[in-house]
Amino acid sequence: MSMLAGLRVLEIADGLTDFGGRMLAELGADVAVVLPVTKANRARTLAWHHGKTVIAPDDAEAIRALAAKADVVLDGQREGDRFGLDKAVSDKTIYIRVAPFSANGPYAGRPATDLTLFALSGLMHVTGEPDGPPLKFPGQQAYALTGIQAATVALLGLYARRRTGKGQKADLSAFQCATLSNYREAIMYEWTGRIGRRRGNMLVRGKSGVRQIWECKDGFVTWSMIDNPSMMRAVVSVMEEKGAAGELSHIDWNNTLVADTPQETIERWQGIVAAFFANHTREELGAWSLEKGWGLSVICSPQDVCDSEHLKARGLFVEVTDEETGKTVSVPGPLFRSAQMDTPRRTLAKPVPASSFTGW
Amino acid sequence: MGALDGLKIADFSWVGAGPRATKDLADNGATVIKIESRKRLDLGRMSPPFAGDPKDVDGSAFFAQTNTSKRSVTVNLSDPRGIEIAKKLVAWADVVVENFGPGFMERIGLHYQALRKIKPDIILASVSVAGRTGPLSGFRGYGNSAAAHSGHAWLTGEPGSPPHMPPLAYGDVVAPMFLTVAILAALEHRARTGEGQHVDVSQIEPMVHVIADLYAQDEAKKTGNDDIDFLIHGVFPTQGDDHWIAIAVENETQAEALKRELGISSLDRDAISAATSAHDKFALFDRLAAAGVPAGPVLDGKNVLENPELAAAGHFVKLDHPVLGPSNMPAPPYVLHGTPGKVNRAPRLGEHNREVFIDMLGLEAEEIETLIAEGCLA
Repeated sequence: MSMLAGLRVLEIADGLTDFGGRMLAELGADVAVVLPVTKANRARTLAWHHGKTVIAPDDAEAIRALAAKADVVLDGQREGDRFGLDKAVSDKTIYIRVAPFSANGPYAGRPATDLTLFALSGLMHVTGEPDGPPLKFPGQQAYALTGIQAATVALLGLYARRRTGKGQKADLSAFQCATLSNYREAIMYEWTGRIGRRRGNMLVRGKSGVRQIWECKDGFVTWSMIDNPSMMRAVVSVMEEKGAAGELSHIDWNNTLVADTPQETIERWQGIVAAFFANHTREELGAWSLEKGWGLSVICSPQDVCDSEHLKARGLFVEVTDEETGKTVSVPGPLFRSAQMDTPRRTLAKPVPASSFTGW
Repeated sequence: MGALDGLKIADFSWVGAGPRATKDLADNGATVIKIESRKRLDLGRMSPPFAGDPKDVDGSAFFAQTNTSKRSVTVNLSDPRGIEIAKKLVAWADVVVENFGPGFMERIGLHYQALRKIKPDIILASVSVAGRTGPLSGFRGYGNSAAAHSGHAWLTGEPGSPPHMPPLAYGDVVAPMFLTVAILAALEHRARTGEGQHVDVSQIEPMVHVIADLYAQDEAKKTGNDDIDFLIHGVFPTQGDDHWIAIAVENETQAEALKRELGISSLDRDAISAATSAHDKFALFDRLAAAGVPAGPVLDGKNVLENPELAAAGHFVKLDHPVLGPSNMPAPPYVLHGTPGKVNRAPRLGEHNREVFIDMLGLEAEEIETLIAEGCLA
């Protein structure tokens, strides 16, 4: 049995709740979703809404009737409540209003999208090259982060309802969700007065910066010369075996603070490492990292991720069929490993008019 | 009253990936006992920024904001007597949380099957870079490793550019959010069936999930700041050094409003940039918002800390800390109106030893003092 089997969730989606509803569906909940008025591309719709019952909102009264029967209502309408859900929910319902901003703050009611929320989070300011514009993360991270918090609030409400017997209302701010993920910038300013800037792939700690991305024989890997003596010794020992360690062999890593080492020295050391990495493949470097504990990771392309033996062994990717087009697509399925999860529906359903939906 | 009042968590986790999940639980009323040791300090306690002396284990603001509302005990898990005390905490708990390196819980005899013998309906929640099964399960890495293994780094940036790493350990943000969901779902399952379970969260998989929309495409591609669902989707310069505003136009109505507000005749990027350059980013945000155009100034760390919307929403809670003094701690991004919860300051190392061992577990005070003196509870 799935963890949330039988739980009824009504979701009014518009980006903010999409992944939250998807998480609850993956955990076994019966999620009925009304899709956004502004249609997203089909791939995005399939990724976020497969496994749900898609409801066409032909009748607002029928939507309110669903809200009255739902255990959880995820209301993610970015432009106000067009169905009057507030008055429709019962006192057992966990009614979660997800909006771009807080309900009563100075930004309440302002229009927002994933991009504008991500810009406000403080993360965009520090992502990108020093001489280029701020850069967003791939996909729609502000929405995804908000969705996860929406699922969290639903589950918190359920836990409380078991104890109190009552549902409740909750408000969730997407701006806060995106900003909460930025655990560094505000606190660094508060304590040091320093304002972070874009550093490209340079990891700056203390007085110096170290590289994070390296070219190898057939692609890229990520690794950094950080203050971890055992890791540094593990890397240098293999370099010695291959005759490539140079002056790195003579460094007492236990008594060397990379963060306090002059930048020109670090550049010299990194030059030796760069030459070594450039002579080896991703597979070789990845295998050494796994065996010796280097902390190095191969930079995987999306195709590498889909082909990963590790992720295949864990059953991450699943085949999902779009009922309208008949097309089947491979997307991530299980959220984590658990013995208590049946496979949910792996389809993006054809819409059912709310007026004729009898599932609940 | 918090949503999770009465819930009991034995938290063996450290640094970021586990503690951020248990912060979620603690801020909502769960009793979270953080099991730490002076012999093997939580690296979070040694992470900047610091209030003063970096060697002060209670002076890290990073640790303080990651561990709000918890209680701290010190247990030396390399001492068999320490493990026996840890088992008493397991017997007390509803949920055990850990993010140790591969094999550690097995070596100290606190793997899932052992925990079940202590408490049959226990929920064990694990988070690690690659998960506890599969060919990479032994991988030792960091929060940013998941950005590499998930395709996130490869997909960041403009088309044709090299991979780009996120500016923080994003896997240490997303994975604990999944861990929180996993724990709460497992609690719901236990309430229905009486059964506990082991939930195994990998950092890589959540990082793939949050870009599932890219994996659903025929071919996942880098797009920089662009998005094919929008008429305009990008950042544009504003007045001042390195000041920018993000603008996203979803429909023709917004497009017309943007042109009107900026005094331009087409949605040409150069024309938009030329127009935005003449404006202050906050004033332009106000103006575009009033016209119904989604926009957001690109905030830096100072802007975030001083933001009026975040202040009004109570995003940061100012708490008095014995070492840090009054300092801002992040609160949950939601308000549960019936069970609002409360954020309290992070604990000093071992601050709750006597309260937990003597008052809560009922152990003899004399025995505890001896174990503390002998370095077992240290």
